[in-house]
Amino acid sequence: MAPSSKAAPRGGQRALRVGLGALAVVGLLISAYLTWVHYAAVAPVCVGGSGGCETVQTSSYATIFGVPVAVVGLVGYTGLLLSASLRGEVGVYLGFLVALVGTLFSAYLTYLEVFVIHAICEWCVASAALMVGALLCATFGVLHLAKEDQAGEK
Amino acid sequence: MSARRKNQPSPQSALLRSPRMLLALIVGVAILVAALMAVLSQLGGAGGSSNSSEDVGKLYSGIPQNGTTLGKSGAPVTIYLYEDFQCPYCGQFSRQMFPRLVEDYVRGGQAKLISEPLTFLGPDSVEASKAALAAGEQNRYWPYYSLLFENQGEENSGYVSTSFLEGLAKQTPGLDVGKWDATRKENSLESELYEAQAKARSAGVNSTPTLIFSGPGGQETIAELRDYEQISQAIDQVDGA
Repeated sequence: MAPSSKAAPRGGQRALRVGLGALAVVGLLISAYLTWVHYAAVAPVCVGGSGGCETVQTSSYATIFGVPVAVVGLVGYTGLLLSASLRGEVGVYLGFLVALVGTLFSAYLTYLEVFVIHAICEWCVASAALMVGALLCATFGVLHLAKEDQAGEK
Repeated sequence: MSARRKNQPSPQSALLRSPRMLLALIVGVAILVAALMAVLSQLGGAGGSSNSSEDVGKLYSGIPQNGTTLGKSGAPVTIYLYEDFQCPYCGQFSRQMFPRLVEDYVRGGQAKLISEPLTFLGPDSVEASKAALAAGEQNRYWPYYSLLFENQGEENSGYVSTSFLEGLAKQTPGLDVGKWDATRKENSLESELYEAQAKARSAGVNSTPTLIFSGPGGQETIAELRDYEQISQAIDQVDGA
């Protein structure tokens, strides 16, 4: 890895970290709400009163060995927030790793909603969109880092 | 040889010094982790309909079944289950708490269950209930009940098709599918559904799942089921032992 001095916070990198942090906070709020919905056994608020959220949240895919998928989301968004708080390469690469895992798993969950459960949960779709946004931020962060490295070598 | 090694970076550090290699490593790890999570989700989430038949067979093994009643007729506590087969929370109850209820209280003879299928969510609820009641004519109501909830889809999405119901009938252990198919077209099943709705009205049931517990210690109703503790407490209260 390049020395950490090369990865000192600069304008672009800082903006990306702030963006990533903001997406992580919104994702944490959604995950926390869905975790509460699971343990309180209440119906999630769904735009337009659709029963899709209830169907997805009460489906057998809503837990993995007893752990609600919303809790997995809490862990993922906490990882994103942690990466956004770290300066330098470690934060950039950690953010990229977590966002990529989150995006791939969100794609799998969306596939389940559409083709297996046959119901759409708007909260889950919002979370998937946040993960894609986080992956974009993290990818730009990696590209930005590469440019900094190239500039440093010159 | 050793001198040359001192001057050159180790293969591991060279890997980490190359951003492309590092990115490839991260992408590989991310794909592996996401794939592992998806596999765990399949194994520990759905349970898979292919295992359902075996699972329901084990759950009800050795427990008396008579129509829509499950358990010993002399059990001191009777639990009336008011559910709609399309109701998501009924499905959640059936998948997460019901097997434990059967093992803890029904198998040992402390309680018996009586299902009162309601059909307020739509025509598909009627078809699902009639299919279950037809299985009940062969004293196979409860395995069919479990399979309906195990394979529940979104309410009124059309998932309760004839092929869906027949598929579950084929998975129901010990069910004569031909006889079941003839029974589920009989009008008498609709009168059973009307009876269940009339009972629900007189008991003041206006949401599903609603559980009514009756025993020597009195009667308890759970209309907002949150956790298994509520069920245990209600049984202890009405048992009065």
